[in-house]
Amino acid sequence: MARPRALASLGPALPFALLGAVALLPLAVSDSYWLGVLVVSMYFALISSGWNLLAGYTGQFSLAPAAFAMIGAYTTGLLCVYSGVSPWVGIAAAVGATAVIGMALGRIVMRLSGPYLALTTLSFAEIARLVIANSYNVTRGDLGLNVPGLFEERLAYYYLFLGALAAVQVGLLVLLRSPSGLYLKAIRDDEVAAASRGVDVVFWKTAAFTASTAVAGLAGALYGHFSQLVSPELGLITQSGLVICMVVIGGMGTLVGPLAGAFLVYLLSEVLREVGGVQLIVFALAVILFARFFREGLAGLARRAGLGKLA
Amino acid sequence: MSCLAIHGVVKSFGGLRAVAGVSLDVDDGELVGLVGPNGSGKTTLLSIVSGQESPDAGRVLLDGRPIQGLSPTRIARAGLARMFQLTRLFRRMSALENLLTAGRALGLARPQAAARAAELLEELGLSRVADLDAGHLSGGQQKLLEFGCCFMVPPRLALLDEPFAAVHPTMKEIMARTIRRRHAQGQAFLVVSHDMPIVAELCVRTVCMNAGAVIADGPTRAVLGDRKVIEAYLGGEAA
Amino acid sequence: MLNVDLLVNGLIVGVLYALMAVGLSLIFGILKVVNFAHGELYMLGSYAYTLAAAALGISPWLAVPVALAVGALVGWAAERLLMRPLYAGYSSWGLMRDEYAVVVTFALSILLVNLVDKVVGPYPRRGPALLDLPRMPLGPVMLSGQKLVATAVGLVVIAALTLSMRYTLWGKQIQAVAQNRLGASLAGIDTARASSAVFSAAGALAALAGALLAPIINASPDVGAFPAVKSYVIVVLGGMGSMPGSIVASLALGVLESFGAVYVSYDYRDTFGLLILVLVLLVRPQGLFGERGRVV
Repeated sequence: MARPRALASLGPALPFALLGAVALLPLAVSDSYWLGVLVVSMYFALISSGWNLLAGYTGQFSLAPAAFAMIGAYTTGLLCVYSGVSPWVGIAAAVGATAVIGMALGRIVMRLSGPYLALTTLSFAEIARLVIANSYNVTRGDLGLNVPGLFEERLAYYYLFLGALAAVQVGLLVLLRSPSGLYLKAIRDDEVAAASRGVDVVFWKTAAFTASTAVAGLAGALYGHFSQLVSPELGLITQSGLVICMVVIGGMGTLVGPLAGAFLVYLLSEVLREVGGVQLIVFALAVILFARFFREGLAGLARRAGLGKLA
Repeated sequence: MSCLAIHGVVKSFGGLRAVAGVSLDVDDGELVGLVGPNGSGKTTLLSIVSGQESPDAGRVLLDGRPIQGLSPTRIARAGLARMFQLTRLFRRMSALENLLTAGRALGLARPQAAARAAELLEELGLSRVADLDAGHLSGGQQKLLEFGCCFMVPPRLALLDEPFAAVHPTMKEIMARTIRRRHAQGQAFLVVSHDMPIVAELCVRTVCMNAGAVIADGPTRAVLGDRKVIEAYLGGEAA
Repeated sequence: MLNVDLLVNGLIVGVLYALMAVGLSLIFGILKVVNFAHGELYMLGSYAYTLAAAALGISPWLAVPVALAVGALVGWAAERLLMRPLYAGYSSWGLMRDEYAVVVTFALSILLVNLVDKVVGPYPRRGPALLDLPRMPLGPVMLSGQKLVATAVGLVVIAALTLSMRYTLWGKQIQAVAQNRLGASLAGIDTARASSAVFSAAGALAALAGALLAPIINASPDVGAFPAVKSYVIVVLGGMGSMPGSIVASLALGVLESFGAVYVSYDYRDTFGLLILVLVLLVRPQGLFGERGRVV
């Protein structure tokens, strides 16, 4: 299918249009509960954006995104609780910690492909969760750790998350528009060919891994201070599954896909929760259908309907 | 002046000796053919030179610098371009993007890369399909594209693994023409092929391998008429 | 003696792990993908057995084939509907077959867990024992009757499977398809049917494990998670696609966990396998018995 040459490309603008709409929503929505739902959607949107960079653009399907969010949340949580540092320092530390751990894991899984990569990241995620859950003396295990908040107003959190999300989108856009975007996609399409054309595969795979885990860590840290409680449940495999759902449904390999997917899936799940708890059944089914028939996700469907290039 | 020097390279896979002590040189600007029956170790040898495999023993020197065991990325940056037997392209990227990736990865700046890519597309008759996803091109077009990617930055040596296999005669002619032209400009090539007529036409010198070893190395005419070479292909006493 | 007791118990657990792992390994051998919904096949077997025996009032011995049938059916359906595109060429994922399989089987797993949760309810259910045997001594070791029966059945099934893979036409066809799909089809083997057969068999095996363990580990929607993770570890250790490797690795893991729970840490007994998996993959990305594919 020929890609339209001229810039019928709403592409880069879409994610920001969506975020713009989200920015204006509080004018219409003032209910605290629903603002909270939107904040959590943004939490997932952050993780999804990071995972999309890793899987959609670079082809590494890690099963550990939620685990890194959990690690980020606990990094800032433990620091604040035991060292009394400001939550802002905690958040910065969380990003640093998850970046470092992500870099290490990324190097480890670099030689692995497909199922082995999935299994290793799955194992890592489970080990991390079990270690945190079992270290009761330090983390209070499944009871969760109480963490200081940042603001009084829920609305302040709303715009903090939005700001982080926007910043990440800008970063991704810059990255993908630069030659690195070409390298990542080349690695996704054919790693051997990429290397033989001079692409530094080792560097870029690690970089993508690190970036995605750092973003997840940021999301987790922000969420920790928002909910003021961090628990090992953040890192459950089903949470990672939810992230994957969101990106597949929204559209992998596009910038707006993970955002749209996150908001859609999470808001829908809230609605369905009231209807009778069938949300996960619906999403799982949706993912299967999308993966099987509409690999490009909603973003891809929109593109085919003539809305131009969305990457 | 030696461009590529292979000394005593050995490679085994489990019990199978794929390359059993091969030594071979390609001089600056030479166009050398590499022939031999299937399973003779040609592709393995190429993989060792381009870095996908590392040899059990022996050395490979590019412009006098040892490259055996280095990563394919570093070898590519040292000036070795490789075309694969089974076409390897970035299928979900456009033909243009495939070329740009190769160019940028090897250090070209954006405008230069764009200009080079446009030239190559023109030269190879692919301008029409520049924006098509590489995966949607025909087999012959894909080979030409992969070929083009090797030349975004003129390499010290171009390794072509069966570039003429299963290709439309027109495409074959375009590729042969391009090889000839670049050779005239001083480009060194090592071309693996089963297409004897084209090897005879293009290559002044040919090397023949069988069962992991070099059994003939010299002027193409002589090699292709060599009894040992004929026996290797026919698997027995030649008439 | 404690050690002998631990060893025997470890081996018993290992046999049951093997039922799960062998199926997973076969799937990988023939389709080159990991089935992330494998644990749910175990779960469905557990439920099928429990519900058939309880709700339909039939003898537990008849409930076992019911479980097998359910596992086989779901396995067959999964392969037919979801996996076939992988090799029949109409998947739009092209070369990213592994990733497609990960996403699709992962989603299937979530679907099955939540479907069962919704339809049957989230509360655990206990399956009836096959034989009402009291704890019996086996040499120096005390074993529960159900475990003994489960192990015996498991051993018989595994032996039968190993022999049929090696000596029957069916088994050889499957090995052929696993080694070279195109070649096998050119030789006249119906590769689609072979794939379906394998997936069904794997489903039946996992369901059998679920049924055999239902009296010991209650059926609940997420009961499949643990056996699944264990089987992933085993299949990597034993080499994806290698049946003997999976069996050996299953027994090894069972014994390791048994000793580890007592001598190292009870809380972390589930992490030993995971740690080993990561360590093995660091050193040998193809697992202990797997083969390195040709890169070009």
